[in-house]
Amino acid sequence: MNNLATNIASPESALPQHESFIVGPDDRILITGAAGFIGSRVLQSLLDRGFRNLVCFVRPSSETAGIETMVERRPAGSEIEVRSGNLLSRADCEAAVKDVAVILHLAAGTGEKSFPDAFLNSVVATRNLLEATLRFRSLRRFVLVSSFAVYSNREKPNGRILDESCPVDEHPELRGEAYCFAKVRQEQLVGEYGKSAGIPYVLVRPGSVYGAKGDITGRVGIGAFGPFLHLGGSNTIPFTYVENCADAIVLAGLVKGVDGEVFNVVDDDLPSSRQFLRLYKKSAKNFKSIYVPHSVSYALCYLWEKYSKWSHGQLPPVFNRRRWHTDWKKTRYSNEKLKTKLGWKPRISTAQGLRRYMEACRRDGRHA
Amino acid sequence: MGDMLKVGIVGCGKIADFHALQIQRIAGCEIVGVCDREPLMAKQLYERFPVKQYFTDLAELLDTARPDVVHITTPAESHFDVARFCLEQGCGVYVEKPFTLYAEEAERLVNLAEAKRVKLTVGHNDQFSHVARRMRALVEGGYLGGAPVHIESYYTYDLGDPSYARALLGDKNHWVRRLPGKLLQNVISHGVARIAEFMTSDSPQVIAHGFVSSLLKQIDESEIVDELRVIIAEAGGTTAYFTFSSQMKPPMHQLRLYGPKNGLILDQDHEILIRLRGQKFKSYADMFIPPALFAKQHLGNLLTNFRLFLGRDFHMDSGMKYLIESFYRSIREGTPVPISYREILRTARIMDSIFEQLNPNRSQDHFAVQPQQVH
Repeated sequence: MNNLATNIASPESALPQHESFIVGPDDRILITGAAGFIGSRVLQSLLDRGFRNLVCFVRPSSETAGIETMVERRPAGSEIEVRSGNLLSRADCEAAVKDVAVILHLAAGTGEKSFPDAFLNSVVATRNLLEATLRFRSLRRFVLVSSFAVYSNREKPNGRILDESCPVDEHPELRGEAYCFAKVRQEQLVGEYGKSAGIPYVLVRPGSVYGAKGDITGRVGIGAFGPFLHLGGSNTIPFTYVENCADAIVLAGLVKGVDGEVFNVVDDDLPSSRQFLRLYKKSAKNFKSIYVPHSVSYALCYLWEKYSKWSHGQLPPVFNRRRWHTDWKKTRYSNEKLKTKLGWKPRISTAQGLRRYMEACRRDGRHA
Repeated sequence: MGDMLKVGIVGCGKIADFHALQIQRIAGCEIVGVCDREPLMAKQLYERFPVKQYFTDLAELLDTARPDVVHITTPAESHFDVARFCLEQGCGVYVEKPFTLYAEEAERLVNLAEAKRVKLTVGHNDQFSHVARRMRALVEGGYLGGAPVHIESYYTYDLGDPSYARALLGDKNHWVRRLPGKLLQNVISHGVARIAEFMTSDSPQVIAHGFVSSLLKQIDESEIVDELRVIIAEAGGTTAYFTFSSQMKPPMHQLRLYGPKNGLILDQDHEILIRLRGQKFKSYADMFIPPALFAKQHLGNLLTNFRLFLGRDFHMDSGMKYLIESFYRSIREGTPVPISYREILRTARIMDSIFEQLNPNRSQDHFAVQPQQVH
């Protein structure tokens, strides 16, 4: 965190200018999940763009040392309020959104296996936030940070491009992933408030966000059964470096004329799963992996799904064909819309990003 | 009561999922309605399970869906009020653990159930896992050679789980902190109930010692007692030790029963039951034959677990399914409830006594205030 400013500092001229934004530098901007992996970079990205009136909403249990450091080192004339609270409390939400012009909503229930927990911390929390904004009517845009997990990716043939026009999973409850279910319902909720209450919103769907920390994404493979099973093969991995992703989220909240739009976030020059794994073994830590061809991984997902159903859930349906289509089907990705409509450019190239990631993995002794 | 037993669930959070999963595996019943004050939570449960309707008002659930039995999966603070309301309306009630906050509340619910002639149970499902049922069968068959002389129950809880520990310890308003027994109240009832099952007196003597672990002290936690040692004794002579720990490794959920003739060890985590032979072999034979017999027993446990898995009967919550099925049978057929009311009350009194000793100044004002609004 201490090196954040130097890591991502870039010439102000390279950043989109304020005349193309819906708010000015003194308008109040709220970041939920501000203490998180992406949230702290979002805060830095806003500071880089000269925004001076920022509210960081964090959970009482969040580690806030990183944000506190940023507050201490903030540019002269800028205000950063760190507000501790719970989005499940309507009172906390109302206090947080007062006079806010833009909300960048990153807080979510992540990593939870429980559907109700993920739903509560994503959907109910979002509803509370949206309801609170209706009281003050100062909001000019609500940005929901969603995920690639919402796409079904079932209808397209192998290797086709997944872009913003692709359908969202109609039955996320069948994916066996609490996170996916919560994210789909969260997006639907925001859309409903957009229609019924006229709240201007933008949906941002990042791919696999990585940085100088983080595990190997499940799109590459899984190590849950002992040896690392390499499932990605020649698939492109939809990486986005955390600072690049943060920039996209910030621009989605600022740029004029994009209300109601959806933006996928992936970087340029994406590696294949095989390239990534090879680099990891060479640069970070060598370990044994077993390649599982796509036809075999599909068959295994099919068998797991059938067994789960036949056994009435003796094994939970965490591997199934729906998940295979989303995570392991050969797919290409586009960031064209992000570039043309938001003027986004990745600050960190994929080569740079991967180098930083590998260095951090080597330093931490992390491996799959 | 028609052909299908009509089931309602109140409280649509995490634990409600476990109930819905098991209920849908049981023949002859249907979930006619789920209820949560938060409409989004009620709706999400309704969407993911075969549920007929969802409600945000308990009275409306009971009036409209007319369940024969209601599962209460709300936070512990509301168990008493919700259960009382359902019992008053003539529904059978399954209350998640902890049954109530105070033993007096437990007594009032049991009295009400008996007065209304409806059935009541508590979610001590660990006692109905395959291995626990095998142990019970041995005890009932006289394997111990009489009433237990001594019982030991170990129940550990890994606070290292980052999501729970962070939420619990970081949030000073977490609902667990509002319970009279705080964290302990939410987690120890399974381990205490295992002891209560094999005791006979209504109010055994309890000596409790609890403290905040050094790990929690390091992070400036002073309220949450996460280490507990209890001695329980009854007039008949049976004694018990109950150990709860967040720090002990390996984590374990074990029950040890020692009778006048033989003993038994139940290892819940690995679904293992070991018989401890009271008789010794002669001389060196006692060092060679018992290890072989133990190895044979472990192999037997392995084969049993494997057979259950192949037979699609080794779910993580098999105990819950068995308990629910037994409870439903008691409602339909008038058979005894799976957990006796005396055992429910004994568990509640032991827990009450523990929390009184850990916190002598705990508020009893609960009984002086108006009941919570339940709908």
